[in-house]
Amino acid sequence: MFPYEQASWDVVDGAMFMGWGGALPGLTTLIAAIICIAVLVIGQRSETAKAKTFDK
Amino acid sequence: MEEQLAELAAKVAELEASGGGAAVTNTMFAETFYYITIPLMILIHAGFLAYEMGASRLKNVLSSGVKNILAFAFVIPTFYFFGWWVYWGFPTGLPGAPGPAGISGVEYANAIAWGWGDSAQYMGPNIADQASGVFFGAFALFAATTASIMSGAVIERIQTVGFIILAVVLGSFAWVVAAAWGWHADGWLVTQWGVHDFGAAGLVHAVAGFFALGVLINLGPRIGKFNADGSANHIPGHNMPLTVVGLMLIIVGFWGFLMACVIVPGEAWSWFGDKPSTIYGTPITLSALSFNILMAIAGGIIGSWIMTRDPFWMMSGALAGIISTASGLDIYFPALAFIISFSAGVILKPCADWLENRGIDDAVGAVTVHGTIGLYGVVMLGIWGSGFPSLQGAAGDAPTITLVGQIIGAVVFFLLGFVPGYVCSFILKMFGLLRIREGAERAGMDLVKVPAAGYPEWGNTAPVTPAHPAE
Repeated sequence: MFPYEQASWDVVDGAMFMGWGGALPGLTTLIAAIICIAVLVIGQRSETAKAKTFDK
Repeated sequence: MEEQLAELAAKVAELEASGGGAAVTNTMFAETFYYITIPLMILIHAGFLAYEMGASRLKNVLSSGVKNILAFAFVIPTFYFFGWWVYWGFPTGLPGAPGPAGISGVEYANAIAWGWGDSAQYMGPNIADQASGVFFGAFALFAATTASIMSGAVIERIQTVGFIILAVVLGSFAWVVAAAWGWHADGWLVTQWGVHDFGAAGLVHAVAGFFALGVLINLGPRIGKFNADGSANHIPGHNMPLTVVGLMLIIVGFWGFLMACVIVPGEAWSWFGDKPSTIYGTPITLSALSFNILMAIAGGIIGSWIMTRDPFWMMSGALAGIISTASGLDIYFPALAFIISFSAGVILKPCADWLENRGIDDAVGAVTVHGTIGLYGVVMLGIWGSGFPSLQGAAGDAPTITLVGQIIGAVVFFLLGFVPGYVCSFILKMFGLLRIREGAERAGMDLVKVPAAGYPEWGNTAPVTPAHPAE
């Protein structure tokens, strides 16, 4: 996952994170955003279901 | 012509003078940088103190606090007496030969890390040395942090002196060996296996977490924790809000902890003249830390929330988020750090339940949060960070990060924690120094250990003692 051809820090003069220059940053950003939305949806559903148990 | 030469000489002198000023400024900056990490890391202890006391029942609240405070107080001097020497002396293992970077080995440690003889000049006030004290301070706080991690797991039934002995073994020896081997440019785990653990997920958190596990096996559960059929009961602490705020303070303190893992540039001891580096001499920026720590905290909280809805586990999830990414906070992409920390938050509670179902009473989940998630973080970096160079600088060529190397590192960190924890607590148990007597545990340890009451106006009876000797 080292984003440079030569495995040495001598050649690094800019971005140095995993996947730089490839699809990984965009892909992980998309997955992270999907996680946030999915958690909100699941959270809302389960909270509503729990709240309904207190309806008279 | 002479006039021009004189003008030129004056200009050169001025430039030299300003250069000297810049050097002084840089030295002051470097010293201040590490000095600030020390009070920030003391916030970790404020957090652990609140966290443990909140997780204790009313009858044990102060004794839990006393234990935590004493851990800090005894680890600092013992780390001064010998822990600092161990760190510099044994990165290459036994018998303490010097490593390729030239900053390790028993001879080197003898010259800089003993509080006597010529070496003492680096272990006390010295106008020509603005680095040793702040480095020592930062490492001493790492050491005290390990003891605090273990402290929470064993509340409400451990003896004070037995606990302090364990805290010293962990804080001034066990984790120090792990740091020498895996967190030093001459460490054999680094030079031979390419182990990378920037933020100490393995060598601080996992070592402390599994040391606690070794102790818990010999210490046994609190009275009433398990039923006759082996099922576990929840023993709620007396103050959940205090515990949650304590966890948040730990998170604040970890900014100082991780800041102290950065080597600032431009000093004689720096890896680079113009850029900060990790302890391995690989480049890093504080911006990298800001991106990744924030995303890791968020991911851990969200993962724990969806699994538990419990604020205790959510804030533990924040901590787990940092720990799960700590090894690679220098090189993760923020969204990847978020995903890894989210997964750590998701697995956190099930892992704690698994341990509890095996008869281990870890009162605050320290084995899971720090031990299991620490090793998870070390291995995760092997999966995602393979191919990154492990070292750069005076240490020369070194292997790159690999999954195999990280797994070997994880196994070594596990053993460096678990074995001393188990063996030392076993010996203490043999001598009757480990567990408090049953009657005292049932009555409440504050009655035995502390001449004060945490909440004198409601609840537990405290001994009435004179405020001062009678005249």
